[in-house]
Amino acid sequence: MSNPFTSIIKGVVINEISETTTTKTITIKLVNGSMNPMPGQFNMLYVFGLGEVPISISNLYPGKRDIVEHTIRFVGAVTRAMIKAIRVGSQIGVRGPYGNKWPLEEAEGSDILIVSGGIGFAPLRPVVKYIIMNRERFRRVNILYGARTPEEFLYKYELEEYSKIPNSKFLLSIDKPYPGWTGYVGFVTDLIKYTDVDTGNSYTFVCGPEIMMKVAVKKLLERGFRKDKIFLSMERRMRCGVGICGTCQFGHLFVCKNGPIFRYSEIENYINVEGI
Amino acid sequence: MQLYRGGIEDIINIYNIVKEFLKADVYGYKRYGNSLVFDFIESSSELPIDVHVVQRPGFYRVSRGFGFIHSSHSPKNLLYPFKQELFRVDQELNIKTLENSLKPVILFGIKPCDVAAINVFDKLFGNNFNPYYLNRRRSVVGIVVEECLNPGETCFCSTMGTGPDARNGFDLAFAKVDRDLVIFKAGSSLGEKIVAKANLQKASDDDVKRYEILLEEAKRKTNLGIGVEDIQTSLEKSITDVELWRKVSEKCVGCANCNMVCPTCFCSEIVDDVVGDEAVRIMQLIGCLSYTYGLVAGGHFRKELYTRYRHFILHKFVFYPKQIDLFGCVGCGRCTVWCPVGIDIRETVKTVASRYRG
Repeated sequence: MSNPFTSIIKGVVINEISETTTTKTITIKLVNGSMNPMPGQFNMLYVFGLGEVPISISNLYPGKRDIVEHTIRFVGAVTRAMIKAIRVGSQIGVRGPYGNKWPLEEAEGSDILIVSGGIGFAPLRPVVKYIIMNRERFRRVNILYGARTPEEFLYKYELEEYSKIPNSKFLLSIDKPYPGWTGYVGFVTDLIKYTDVDTGNSYTFVCGPEIMMKVAVKKLLERGFRKDKIFLSMERRMRCGVGICGTCQFGHLFVCKNGPIFRYSEIENYINVEGI
Repeated sequence: MQLYRGGIEDIINIYNIVKEFLKADVYGYKRYGNSLVFDFIESSSELPIDVHVVQRPGFYRVSRGFGFIHSSHSPKNLLYPFKQELFRVDQELNIKTLENSLKPVILFGIKPCDVAAINVFDKLFGNNFNPYYLNRRRSVVGIVVEECLNPGETCFCSTMGTGPDARNGFDLAFAKVDRDLVIFKAGSSLGEKIVAKANLQKASDDDVKRYEILLEEAKRKTNLGIGVEDIQTSLEKSITDVELWRKVSEKCVGCANCNMVCPTCFCSEIVDDVVGDEAVRIMQLIGCLSYTYGLVAGGHFRKELYTRYRHFILHKFVFYPKQIDLFGCVGCGRCTVWCPVGIDIRETVKTVASRYRG
């Protein structure tokens, strides 16, 4: 086996899209390597001299193994550099893909419900894209997506396309009333009551702030969704991506290696325990 | 298992034999002034033969005597050092890796609990492939263990099933019964060869009896009086008992000494040290008791100290078994000895067990 730490592929940023004031999407061309990431996986992105951060894959480029795309929000030193200093033509190191994937094969033939909040939509965007490309493999599809304000939605240029997926429902929510907004105002988890998928035979994919995911699970279970068919993408402090550094432990699970996507029934004893 | 007899001089003789015979560096506990460190042993005069240590919660003193236990150091110093350079990278993202030029090493005089800790790392870093650990581990060509016939006050290896006698994963073991009688046993064909080269005699029935009496006494002293499965199941039941965990951790100051001295604590962070045009990527230990463990830009996954102390304990007794099917605690007692406020891991597990057992 090769050394995971030194397996950094040189990447060059070939496109950037400013999504919100604190978020941007960068498309990276891999110069001396390739990968075939799956929806839900992440890469470690490296900025010279500053360090690495785990960022989920936010788009699919089928057939193009030298292109990866990530949506980055400015929170710390490395992501700040990515937002402020990385431009088209900048170099960035890419190591991965790591982690498991959304269970799209297992979910074939079933209904799909997506519940997402804020930047949590980024790892689910490849799922939506996959559904669009393979629409016949799934039955009824519902997508719920919440943001603080209409301006905070990612991929605003694609949202209309999502709303046109055949046999689907696409619902947006914002936290507080906003001039011109005619959609739902409140928490995205409130929208769970408007879903029309078959609760007993639906796969639910959830990603967002941890508190939002906890509320989502509670509401999903109340509506009769099965806990072995609810999947959450978890976040912890990940430094290595391969289960060596130990800092992403969530109970006995290494989020980087056993996750980041967990079946709810697998983590139900941990999710409500503070600091586990 | 066949036991052999010798004296103190035979320990020194065997030190010389393994050094010559295996053409390796010898690494182990050694005297350094008035303290004990874990380092390369250049001469047999550095061996901690006339050394006694007193260990209590928050207390460690070295004195002259007979019956060395261990120090704050362990084989982790060699196999998983506090700081390790992973690689260097330049601004164009060209990577330079280190030459793998580790000389063969013999671990000499390490303790049965230390061997158990190496077994834990072997399994963890075999499953979660860690090339740096495995490379260092491969440099170890022999392991000579000193059994503990005079264990420390804080030791509980008998409960953890890791000592005080050598169980597995060693080539040769010795036990100091007194100045004139040292018992030796081989744990591998290499150990057999060393025994033959040292020309050791077979131990007599009387020798064996004297050794076994001391060993039984050592086992009794290092037994907590509670089964490890009881500890494990009661800890598992206590996970949501915030009040209990706040109570058992109330004296903790979050210094992470316990993590640093623990022979199985491995959690690390990776930092860039920029030198000239290159960045050196360095992996360094970060204890789960320190505040920055779980701290991320924009949040904190283990903000409360009790959650970090709970993780330390649960990882050893509950999570490690789920991860690698071995306990992560080897019962060495280092965390208790080097805790500046003397928090006793034995008291913690007993407190939890008394509330949740059965």
